[in-house]
Amino acid sequence: MSGEIDIYGVYVPNLLALMVATLLVSLVVRRVLAFLGVYALVWHRGLFDIALYVVLLQGMSLLSQWWLS
Amino acid sequence: MKVSFRGAIRVIVTLVLVLAAFGAGRELWAHYMDDPWTRDAKVRADVVGVAPDVAGFVSDVLVQDNQAVKKGDVLFRIDRARFAIALEQAEAVVDGRKATLDQAKRDRERYEQLKDVVSEQKTEQMRMSEAEAAASYRQALADRELAKLNLERTEVKAPVNGTISNLSLRPGDYVTAGTAKVALVDTDSLRIEGYFEETKLARIRVGAPVSIRLMGQAAPLRGHVESIATGIEDRERTVGNGLLANINPTFSWVRLAQRVPVRIVLDEAPDGVQLVAGLTATVSVLEK
Repeated sequence: MSGEIDIYGVYVPNLLALMVATLLVSLVVRRVLAFLGVYALVWHRGLFDIALYVVLLQGMSLLSQWWLS
Repeated sequence: MKVSFRGAIRVIVTLVLVLAAFGAGRELWAHYMDDPWTRDAKVRADVVGVAPDVAGFVSDVLVQDNQAVKKGDVLFRIDRARFAIALEQAEAVVDGRKATLDQAKRDRERYEQLKDVVSEQKTEQMRMSEAEAAASYRQALADRELAKLNLERTEVKAPVNGTISNLSLRPGDYVTAGTAKVALVDTDSLRIEGYFEETKLARIRVGAPVSIRLMGQAAPLRGHVESIATGIEDRERTVGNGLLANINPTFSWVRLAQRVPVRIVLDEAPDGVQLVAGLTATVSVLEK
């Protein structure tokens, strides 16, 4: 469900919290991909990274909806 | 040859992910921007401003702040003395008028029996006196009823079921008729009003189930859409001095969605959840 998260009295939209969480997750995923050498198969690394971020964000969003419902 | 094959793989892998990102982005946008939900909903209740019907000193206040009252419960009393005296006066007037009426009736009967001795005019005058006396007797009866009503109205009663709020009335205060002195929150009218952007209205139907989350309270409540407001103020337009329409200058680029109140009723009385009028809620209309 869409909603908000209470951070010590400040209510922020779920999406903001998800974005921050996804940023951390994507950093880890990029490390792992770099370690596995996947970036050798990537055309523009910047483009790939931003697309990866959006896909991960959607994944996190679905995960949080499933978790909350 | 090997290099160009590798190059094609690189382009394909990247483009596939970019396409997936487009799809994911669209889904996210639909969920966060288009779904009919709002963080801006309020718990609302109607507030009755209980006003006395007569003026006077408050003699007793029978309720406390935040007390729940039933319809018909006495909230406070106004000093009765003046109204009791007024009723006594009115009763005295009734007695006097009754005596006058009785006398007029006897006079009229007497004159009617003396048909041959007194003039027709005199008899008619007696009939008129009796009718006048009867009329003023009825006037006195009505005045007495009014005095009784005023005396009754010194007890100010709760017009609806509800809770007293922000009570500052104390015995000894002077209250005037028609001035609200006690705020009574009508607990039967508790509801949620969600302020939805006009862009989301198309996806809200009357009767659709709603999930409600009060700020700071974990358990979600269930409700459904009862009605959608039919009108909101037109902010672009005022009436100018010359009675001509005064329309705001054009607003072509950035346009802000206005918001429309949607009334939501709770399906069941929530256990352990204190509904306070004015609380903030997050509501999301579930589509079937």
